[in-house]
Amino acid sequence: MLFAHGFGCSQEMWRHVVPGFAEDHRVVLFDHVGAGGSQLDAYDRRKYDTLHGYADDILEIIEALDLQDVVYVGHSVSAMMGVLAAIRDPSRFGALVLVGPSPRYIDDGDYRGGFSRTDIEGLLDTLDANYLGWSSAIAPIITGNADRPELGEELTESFCRTDPEIAGHFARVTFLSDNRRDLEEVTVPTLVIQTREDAIAPTSVGEYVHERIAGSAFTLLDATGHTPNLSEPGKLTEAIRAFLS
Amino acid sequence: MAADPGELYEHAACGLLLTDGGGIVQRANRTFLAWTGHRRDEVEGQRFDSLLTAAGRLFVETRFLPVLRLEGSVHELALELRRADGGSLTVLMNAVAAVPDGPVHIAVMKATQRRDYERELLQARRAAERSESGVRMLQAAATAFADTVTRQGVADALADAAGRAFDAAQSAVLLLENRELGIAGGSHPLGADALLDRDGPELRVLRGDDELVLSDPAEVEASFPHLAAPLRRARVEALSATLVREEGKAAGVLTCFFGRPRQLTREELDLQASLCRLAGQALTRIALQETLRELALQDELTGLPNRALLRGRLVEALAEARAERRAVALIFVDLDGFKAINDELGHAVGDRVLAEVAQRLSQVVRRSDTIGRYGGDEFMVICRGANPRTARAIAERLAGAVRAPLADMPPGVGVTASIGVAALHPSGEEFLSADGLVAAADAAMYAAKREGRDGIRIVEPSPAELV
Repeated sequence: MLFAHGFGCSQEMWRHVVPGFAEDHRVVLFDHVGAGGSQLDAYDRRKYDTLHGYADDILEIIEALDLQDVVYVGHSVSAMMGVLAAIRDPSRFGALVLVGPSPRYIDDGDYRGGFSRTDIEGLLDTLDANYLGWSSAIAPIITGNADRPELGEELTESFCRTDPEIAGHFARVTFLSDNRRDLEEVTVPTLVIQTREDAIAPTSVGEYVHERIAGSAFTLLDATGHTPNLSEPGKLTEAIRAFLS
Repeated sequence: MAADPGELYEHAACGLLLTDGGGIVQRANRTFLAWTGHRRDEVEGQRFDSLLTAAGRLFVETRFLPVLRLEGSVHELALELRRADGGSLTVLMNAVAAVPDGPVHIAVMKATQRRDYERELLQARRAAERSESGVRMLQAAATAFADTVTRQGVADALADAAGRAFDAAQSAVLLLENRELGIAGGSHPLGADALLDRDGPELRVLRGDDELVLSDPAEVEASFPHLAAPLRRARVEALSATLVREEGKAAGVLTCFFGRPRQLTREELDLQASLCRLAGQALTRIALQETLRELALQDELTGLPNRALLRGRLVEALAEARAERRAVALIFVDLDGFKAINDELGHAVGDRVLAEVAQRLSQVVRRSDTIGRYGGDEFMVICRGANPRTARAIAERLAGAVRAPLADMPPGVGVTASIGVAALHPSGEEFLSADGLVAAADAAMYAAKREGRDGIRIVEPSPAELV
């Protein structure tokens, strides 16, 4: 199983989910280039100006580790990266699990993504506001917390850190992409997992994805918010297991 | 005065909220309600993220909540709250979740003024950074252009500079060469074929649009329906094309291809135009250098190849003759009576005679022959594949061309030619000396001159005789 994290964090997003699969699956975790503990100097803006750049990385990981019959679990924007990778080379994938996917965040005609272009500009502004005064070098948004020693110092160092420049670019690529047309090209068995009241990817968007991927399954999780991998890891694990069996 | 904790809470100098583990607001203090203008029932019982602007929600869901859940607290987050009157309130927020998935205590401080100030600072810094990086990119491109000596080198450097400046997935530079548009630098997702036979962005720009931007697949489809599918297969969703001019004339096109919808700013388009302008200047310089190189090999007066070029051609011809065991002849033409014209009628008349003779000689040689001015009043003709008989025929035509009366000359004033021919027929791998052949033809010419003017002398040296 290959777990891919979304915009804003790192592979730590899966820390409560992985134990539920580690016993009977080979579990592969990674940070996207530009996020977490990845090598920031590998961030090539031309390559990562499109989700295809990330999809190519996913295929490269699969190739390098010689993974077969991969269950790809992608959260948020990584759901669409998985879609692109699985279209490129379906032979490697056993299943796609898309958690809180959105093929397009910006409203377009009858399509309701939930946001306007101005909202996205506002997000970039908010990112700026929160990274103001940081040097352009790596700076963790949160430093160690004595009350939660289990996180450990090593973890804290790489966890959710990012470079403001890269975060801004990743945000643009994430929220300004449009992958609606790619959905119908998916041939790999797919599960769409949606929570109630997801402020990033509304239920109607989850249903849109489900309707356009032929033969896909849809699970409405008894959870709220965009990050069930953190808020309801047990229920998320259960839903994925039910689909795989 | 006894402090009432309830009073302290309700009227604290900051907004206070308590949410449950699911993000539903359980309690809000009066300060929070007063700042945001919401009624209590519009806050309590509602989701916390419903109190935020859309941008704030995006940030909270992707950044704040993951960090809060993993770390237990978040400090000094800058956010925008939605106010009842439709406006927004900029705040700094701290949040603490003592127990994982347990209640979250949130405090917000008004930060509007500070935020406005920071935003201004940031905008100024961003503007400065953008203009600095624009200048840096132009400087880097100018350096790259200066280092190139070929048109292709300029095209490559332009494609590379633009690709990096605009984060383009691919970038290509097409140049017009002999009126045909071809890919000269970078990489083009559709390859050369797709461009040439059908209308595309590049041709559109060449025909006078100067600049073309297609921001998303819908715009591509609307402008070039036949390119929509191939571009989609090549993962191109948006593109920009800009004209490259050389001395004011259309010389080529820079195209940047993007893998997602892109809206280029005026600033970016200006930078693109500036890069193209620099590239155009580099193309002009290279064209000039090429002209100079040609001039260096060309005789200025007659327009014929000069001695340096003749020598180069002779070496080539001899190598060919040796490889193919083919005949080759070298004809040396020296004008008789030219010195007198030059001395008596002046250099200007002399120059005119040389130009006229050169013109006539050029007309009587074969298409495959190379004729040039060797120096002064000496001309040389390299005749590939000519046996002695052919060489003699050519020499006789040359003599006849020189002998014909010159225009605008006093009666009795004219020139003839003394011609020496060295004809070779290599039969093996022996070395053929260009200098030796020139010396042989030169000697034959002098022999002809000594025998009286207007004569032809042919020698057939063996390769071994040529030193």
